Amino acid sequence: MPEMPELDPVVHGKLRLAVLSLLVGVEEADFTWLRDKTGSTDGNLGAQMLKLEEAGYVAMQKRFAGRKPQTLYRMTPAGRKALGKYVAALKELLGAAL
Amino acid sequence: MANMEREDGVTRDELVQRVALMEAMIAEGRRSTARWGWIFVMWGLVYFVAIGWSFYLPYKYWAWPVCAGIAIAAGIVVKVRQKRAGNLIGNIRSRSIESVWQGMGTAIMLYVATAIASHHAGSPAYVAAILFFIGLAHAISAMILRWAVQAAVAAIWWISGCAVFFVTSDQSVVIFLVASFFGMILFGLYAMWLERRRAAGMVQAHA
Repeated sequence: MPEMPELDPVVHGKLRLAVLSLLVGVEEADFTWLRDKTGSTDGNLGAQMLKLEEAGYVAMQKRFAGRKPQTLYRMTPAGRKALGKYVAALKELLGAAL
Repeated sequence: MANMEREDGVTRDELVQRVALMEAMIAEGRRSTARWGWIFVMWGLVYFVAIGWSFYLPYKYWAWPVCAGIAIAAGIVVKVRQKRAGNLIGNIRSRSIESVWQGMGTAIMLYVATAIASHHAGSPAYVAAILFFIGLAHAISAMILRWAVQAAVAAIWWISGCAVFFVTSDQSVVIFLVASFFGMILFGLYAMWLERRRAAGMVQAHA
């Protein structure tokens, strides 16, 4: 029996996967935009973003837009690679299950 | 094998849900949050005001620089405010379209300024070139967005561009205003209506 592919636990988390899927289509995104799109809370999103940062899948940048502080996130090449591997694993697993 | 559970406890249903989640979020990320319908309405009105000023009011040479300057300043102010609010999320498609319009705007400004300075402005061929410039930007946007309505708008500008070669200078201005009404004001109002519906989650976004 062929070995089943592993799913990256960092990517597999529901909110983290949602964030990575959002970031893959944009150059960078503000924290509030990510929060609004995912419908999560500040605390939960902040914690999940930290996990993605620690894994090296997203990069964070703080800056001021006028007087307002902004926290911007962008996907790193490692994040794109991880998401690509995750999608490939999903395809393989779902293909096997059909 | 409909809902086989893996050793790590992940079921097929869970995997299918993840796929659906990814699809929804990728579509959200591609959906531009920018509201741009008003820009077309504003520029359409600018054309009417500038042409009206240049025909009926004093200091006619200031009509286009003043009107265009105000419109450009308004566009910059709104964009900066959207960016500060975190509402302006850039993706490749929105940047492509923005680049097309910025390039077209710069080209028209250079063209008009040079034509006025060298006393070549006012002829039907001069007006035709502007109509073709604007039609070109609409056509490229329509191709990027695969949007038939904007393709029809591009056709309006190009047909108008062809038409002005067969009319007098005064008639060419009328054709320009007609194209501005349908290809800027009416199109912009339609885009604004779509944006409202999109905000209410009723239609798929074009940009």
